[in-house]
Amino acid sequence: MKINVVKNVMEASDAMADENRRRMDAAGVVAINVLSAPGSGKTTLLEKTIPLLAPRYRCAVLVGDLQTTRDAERLGDLGAPITQINTGRGCHLSPAEVAEGLDTLELDKIDLLFIENVGNMVCPAAFDLGEHFRAVLLSTPEGDDKVAKYPTLFQPADVILLTKIDLLDVLEYDSQRVRDDLSKLNTRAPLIECCPLSGAGLEEWAGWLRERFSEK
Amino acid sequence: MHEMSIATSLLDEVLAALSGHDGARVDLVELEVGSLRLIVPEAMDLAWRSLTVGTPAAGSALKITEIEPFARCRVCGCEYRPELISFLCPKCGKADVDILSGNDIILKSLVCGE
Repeated sequence: MKINVVKNVMEASDAMADENRRRMDAAGVVAINVLSAPGSGKTTLLEKTIPLLAPRYRCAVLVGDLQTTRDAERLGDLGAPITQINTGRGCHLSPAEVAEGLDTLELDKIDLLFIENVGNMVCPAAFDLGEHFRAVLLSTPEGDDKVAKYPTLFQPADVILLTKIDLLDVLEYDSQRVRDDLSKLNTRAPLIECCPLSGAGLEEWAGWLRERFSEK
Repeated sequence: MHEMSIATSLLDEVLAALSGHDGARVDLVELEVGSLRLIVPEAMDLAWRSLTVGTPAAGSALKITEIEPFARCRVCGCEYRPELISFLCPKCGKADVDILSGNDIILKSLVCGE
């Protein structure tokens, strides 16, 4: 016996993502899904970004990791609402987990919500969480060849941050190679070269965020 | 290993499709998978085998057909098939697209025995 079905398996996941987006739209929240490999500097970027945007922009963070509350503890001193989501064995955040995270926040008191995804260059890219924009980080120690190796991460990005540029010389890093690879995959997203620890490039990133917020 | 969460959603849909077919055992699940989802068939098989234990789909095989992506250029409107390594529009040379297909995972059919 054959049962014909023709059903989109991702329908429930995508519907939940749409519902997350609707909730945030209703509250005037702009959500940024922040993706990268582990160690690219997502948490450091947010540690430095949130004070730069405050008090004009009220920020909050949902931060995903398999285990520990370390990232939430690092971000906790900033005075912004932070919710840690532990995915257990999950290699990416899911829209359902983000929905639970949204329940913990007072959305009408938030302008920008950063969703710091689990560090991973493959799995998180495949799931819409309900975000409005995707920010993808690539740090110089990861190598200048990674854009072409992980096209599904970089192709849908709305902004790409090349982090740890203070190491460019030490690593003999070829940032033109990154630009060349991006020219085949994504000509929409600006590439922002930055070093969150020193503050280099952060004003350009903050400007990009302010523009996205004013557009909404 | 995002195959585990996708296999979990798939099992929900398979069990829903089986309602009204009491006693049916699934032998084969036919799927179309967009290549942009980066599903590794071996990882999907492993996830499926472990998730379906104790369900009417236990022991069933997955038949996965991969669907190539299709895109529309946001700059000039051209519709084309990009490659994973290059999303360059053949008309205007930009790489700025809306993905029309290539992210879908479609459960097509179940082949069942009693």
